[in-house]
Amino acid sequence: MSLTDAAFEAEPVHAEVVHGKGPWQLAWERLRRDKAAVISMAVIVLVALLALLAPLFALITGHDPLTQYPETALTPEGLPVGPGADFWLGADSLGRDLFVRLAYGARISLLVGLSATLLATVFGVVVGLLAGYYGGWVDGVLARVLDVVLSFPYLLVAIVLVAAVGASVALTIFVIAFFSFAAMARVVRGQTIGYREREFTEAVRSLGASPLRIMVIDVLPNLVAPVTVLASLLIPTSIVFEATLSFLGLGVDPRTPSWGAILADSTDFYRVAPGLLVFPAVLLLLTTLAFNLLGDGIRDALDPKR
Amino acid sequence: MRKRAGLLVPALAMVLSGVAGACGGGATTATGSGPQKGGMLRVVGSGDVDHLDPSSSYTVIAYNLGRTWTRQLVTYPAGGGISVAGEVVPDVAAALPKVSDDGKTYTFTLRPDVMWNTSPPRPIVAADFERGLKRLANPVQPSGGISYYTQTIDGFQEFFTAFQKQPKTAAGMAKFMNSTPIRGVQAVNPTTLRIQLTAPASDFLNIMALGFASAAPVEYEKYVPDGPDFRQNTISGGPYQITTYFAGRQIMLEHNPVWKQSSDPVRHRWVDRILVTLGQDSPDVVQQQLEAGVADLSWDQPVPTSAIPRLTGNPAYKVYEGSTLNPFLAFNMQSPNNNRALANVKVRQAINYVVNKAAIAQIYGGPKINSVLDGAIPPGSIGYDAAVRPYATPGGRGDVNRCKALLAEAGVTNLSLQFPYRTNGNHPKVAQSIAGDLTKCGITSQLIPTAPDDFYGRYLSSVQKSREGKWDIGAPGWIPDWYGNNARSIVVPLFDGRNYTEGSTNYGAYNDPAVNDLITRALTAPDAKAAEGLWRQTNARIMADAPIVPLTSQNVPIFHSERVRNTIYTPLTQQFDYTQLWLAS
Repeated sequence: MSLTDAAFEAEPVHAEVVHGKGPWQLAWERLRRDKAAVISMAVIVLVALLALLAPLFALITGHDPLTQYPETALTPEGLPVGPGADFWLGADSLGRDLFVRLAYGARISLLVGLSATLLATVFGVVVGLLAGYYGGWVDGVLARVLDVVLSFPYLLVAIVLVAAVGASVALTIFVIAFFSFAAMARVVRGQTIGYREREFTEAVRSLGASPLRIMVIDVLPNLVAPVTVLASLLIPTSIVFEATLSFLGLGVDPRTPSWGAILADSTDFYRVAPGLLVFPAVLLLLTTLAFNLLGDGIRDALDPKR
Repeated sequence: MRKRAGLLVPALAMVLSGVAGACGGGATTATGSGPQKGGMLRVVGSGDVDHLDPSSSYTVIAYNLGRTWTRQLVTYPAGGGISVAGEVVPDVAAALPKVSDDGKTYTFTLRPDVMWNTSPPRPIVAADFERGLKRLANPVQPSGGISYYTQTIDGFQEFFTAFQKQPKTAAGMAKFMNSTPIRGVQAVNPTTLRIQLTAPASDFLNIMALGFASAAPVEYEKYVPDGPDFRQNTISGGPYQITTYFAGRQIMLEHNPVWKQSSDPVRHRWVDRILVTLGQDSPDVVQQQLEAGVADLSWDQPVPTSAIPRLTGNPAYKVYEGSTLNPFLAFNMQSPNNNRALANVKVRQAINYVVNKAAIAQIYGGPKINSVLDGAIPPGSIGYDAAVRPYATPGGRGDVNRCKALLAEAGVTNLSLQFPYRTNGNHPKVAQSIAGDLTKCGITSQLIPTAPDDFYGRYLSSVQKSREGKWDIGAPGWIPDWYGNNARSIVVPLFDGRNYTEGSTNYGAYNDPAVNDLITRALTAPDAKAAEGLWRQTNARIMADAPIVPLTSQNVPIFHSERVRNTIYTPLTQQFDYTQLWLAS
């Protein structure tokens, strides 16, 4: 889906004179009729519940996500036990409860996915608005910065940063946001350039409105649709990127339950303990798929003309 | 405790790296067919050698590689198992040296026809061995095994001290080496080397059999020891030569055209080339490659724990007996962190109590593959004492209450430890397991992921980083060179504080006068029996101070591809001797 300027030539909010249902209401109704989107929302709610209730699961099973149970969760040869009454989905290779870790891992995934997206969105919108509205040298400088960011090799920079600063959730969020904001800023910039020249902005400008007011009050509301769509697609990208970093041992402390780290652990054991590979992989797949499908649904709902 | 030509033979060695520990018979999977020439032995693994320069190489992988291209006066034998693994045999020396009646003068006579692969080729001479010894003391990359030589050879300590003050340039070091003799080392003529000791040392030949004492050609004076230029310009006297060295990626060895079987009593040369491919961080992938036959041997990756139950009974799989401290937990007693808490013996004892050693054993495949250790000297080595286990807990599972009580006694709270770990093999799991145990006792740890090649050089063996507190605890491994009378290869390198310097393997800078004194007396004891009692006392004294947490002693499971034949196991390197292998067609 291309999210370029032409894609969102919807009527500016200002000019709209609609009776009855507002545009958001209409979009919501369209979204509700989209089966894929509804199922995706349900999956996301379930994953969110898994994350929210993680401490409850820890309480019920009596297994802290960090505590190792080498005597009960591992065979004497050190192989993890399979799913059972005590360890619902089995244990990982250090004898920790896989289910509890997956639940806590959902927290990390959602935390990283949502905060990185939020950060990238805010930053991207600000940069895009400035560059698009002012044009000239401001645009020149910012656009070049975006070019540089977009041409950076993601993983290499992440690896270097982790080596220099040390792995942490905050760093992971920052790295993901840093590499994601540029795409957002590009789209916002393109849109802003279009709106800058429109009659309603000309009008408020001639009334003496400040650039800040024009950007925030007149242009920004028109960008909500493309930004929402883009942001909803950024979430799964961020989740996968976090998993990638953790898989490579770069994301977070190795003890932290993270889906990527659990997958990395499984590489040595999947033949004897397939659950170690299957459960986190399925969870990761479902989550990212759900966010992606929901993003598609939101786009279709906001822009039915396509 | 093996007598040979009036000498006792121990030695040291060590190593660190991947995993595992040692020994077993020099079994072979050969069927009826005899040796076959040709083919390329493909070795795959994770990390590069610590050092390529034999003067500083101190890992099993570098040591095993060195067997193919470096030469020593005397060396350890190929095969024969643990019982003869410490019995030194001649290499470039035509025979074992003549020893004077007072046991202090060794005279080596060299074979005249062992050649360097220089252009034109020229013989390896006594001066090359003298240069090899001198290079151990260089100020840029001093040998981790330097203390074996400074302890025994007359004048070596002075030489070392003076060399350390020299400029750290190739030219400056060459000038110093060429103008300064080691009093006890004389190249009498090209084929005669005389070495004078400060006192009789029953294990001197074992020291001379180490890779450290390799001959060094004059060309090496052009390079900083183990520097990038050195690594691209190695010169070989063995059956193979290094033709490609890409740091961290690939090492290719091919035939050394001037090597002759007739002038090498130990090595052979069956395969044409040896290709070491690095960068494969997953033991499981390495195992799959071996089973699929796309690789022949693992370089530094252990047989995956998960594969061991499945492989049992497979003819290409065997467990070799070991006697190691691998891994153990080292304390950085110089660390300024936590108000120098680790300098407090009670804190170290507390941690000794809390670590679940049985869980570490499980990580490495369970009780068939390794056993829990409670002393500083592992079984199978001189001085081992099953009765000395001051911090033993039931089943080796750890005792949280004792840990808490000792910490309270020490008045230490909120301990937070810097804990670097290697990112390959089982090291991340060992680190997490230990960190989990510490948590139970209220001790937090910062796990610091470290490239395998940086673990020792940038943390444990770095004087400056140790003093800065870049690490508090770390889980290295120790593997003695041979077995039996080998305390010089365990106790001295790990616990003698008198030679603590850059690259030291006494990671925590443990320095106890009583232990140092016991070591001296044991090393100069008239025979192994007398030494044994002294080593036992040393072990007890060390454990009272708790400078380490002994964890497990590991045997070595090895799996090889179907076509590998004549798998002679070398206890010292925990691998098969590359110079003995051939490939079935």
